[in-house]
Amino acid sequence: MTDAKRPKGAKLSEPEAIEKAKQGDAEAFEFLYHLHKRRVYSLCLRMTGNTASAEDLTQEAFLQLFRKIATFRGESAFSTWLHRMAVNVVLMQLRKKNLPVVPIDETTEGEEEGTIRKELGAPDERLAGSIDRLQLQRAVDELPPGYRTIFVLHDVEGYEHNEIASMVGCSIGNSKSQLHKARIKLRDLLRVNRAEKAGKR
Amino acid sequence: MINEESHGLGRGGMNCLQFENALSDYLEGSRTSEQQAHLSSCTVCSNLLADLNLISAEAFSLRELNEPNPKMWNTIEAQLRSEGLIREPSPLLSDFFRRWRTAWLVPVAAALLIAAGVKLYHPAKVGENQSVSKVSIPKISPAPTISAEDKDVLRTVASRPPAQAVAYRNDLDQANAFIRDAQDALRNDPNDIYSQQLLMNAYEQKQMLYRLAVDQGNDEQ
Repeated sequence: MTDAKRPKGAKLSEPEAIEKAKQGDAEAFEFLYHLHKRRVYSLCLRMTGNTASAEDLTQEAFLQLFRKIATFRGESAFSTWLHRMAVNVVLMQLRKKNLPVVPIDETTEGEEEGTIRKELGAPDERLAGSIDRLQLQRAVDELPPGYRTIFVLHDVEGYEHNEIASMVGCSIGNSKSQLHKARIKLRDLLRVNRAEKAGKR
Repeated sequence: MINEESHGLGRGGMNCLQFENALSDYLEGSRTSEQQAHLSSCTVCSNLLADLNLISAEAFSLRELNEPNPKMWNTIEAQLRSEGLIREPSPLLSDFFRRWRTAWLVPVAAALLIAAGVKLYHPAKVGENQSVSKVSIPKISPAPTISAEDKDVLRTVASRPPAQAVAYRNDLDQANAFIRDAQDALRNDPNDIYSQQLLMNAYEQKQMLYRLAVDQGNDEQ
């Protein structure tokens, strides 16, 4: 247990809260909710790109977690368990709504070559040394749903390609390829955004 | 316009298209001397690589960027109680609600709410040298980390159980951080509608935090 898991001034540590939540302690549930709400909500928001859906899914993820908390034995980190649960809740919802979890191949054909062609006309254009996180958030929200899923799971949440492949039901190679296309697409979106801003000045 | 010379086509045994086709593997750590040679001679591909690394590195900052509606916990708690997962109210929690009944907290919280509203809807002043913006935005000024209003609220929630008081403080800090981020973005581009919306959302979030305190106090009266 690290200090990071015990917010400054808090009486409970995370393991203590988990044990108390198993006994039905309201304060422990609330503690765990506040400890993880931002990460879970941000994940849901990034993957759906929709505030209302993200709130519903966050709520559903925490309810599932608290319903199952008595079965948590600590084989993995609690946060790992919770975040995996949240990802599954979101993926299930995307499938229910028939939204693409993995990009459809036909829609991405030709984009790889296009990237190079765009580059050839503008050799010196590159993003500056840093990206504003609000700009990045906006660009991620603009990604097609399938690209967004893979990018968020890998680059934001830190899952490995084999884990992503198993979660979304695609091959490892497909996950790698879609991640690459998502990053390229993001770069294009960020550069367009920057060019638009420069044009306004 | 395609300039083969400046883009490394045919250099180092690899051209740009071949490099990009293998770039995914390169980023995964599978690197060849051919790729390295191409990178050292091609500005386009080295810029592309730098940008993709930058995007990947910055993506982590989105991990805990957003805050859910402050009332979400109330909904979850109600559901947990209805399912019998919360078995009995904590004595500490009861003590907290008993303290919240104190009548003077309500007008204080209401005053804070009004102050937040004034801040939210106060239009930007148009100076002599400024062009008139079509969109009215809140006045941009560096926000103190903790305002006098925040201090008042934190003083009142200090009587809560420590975990709740800390959670409230964290929420308030996050709302203030959002406000500062949006204000920074607006300083760079005052007409950016997206940043204006973010600023409005951040103020609404802070307002909801104040309102939540008022609602909880009223619920218990």
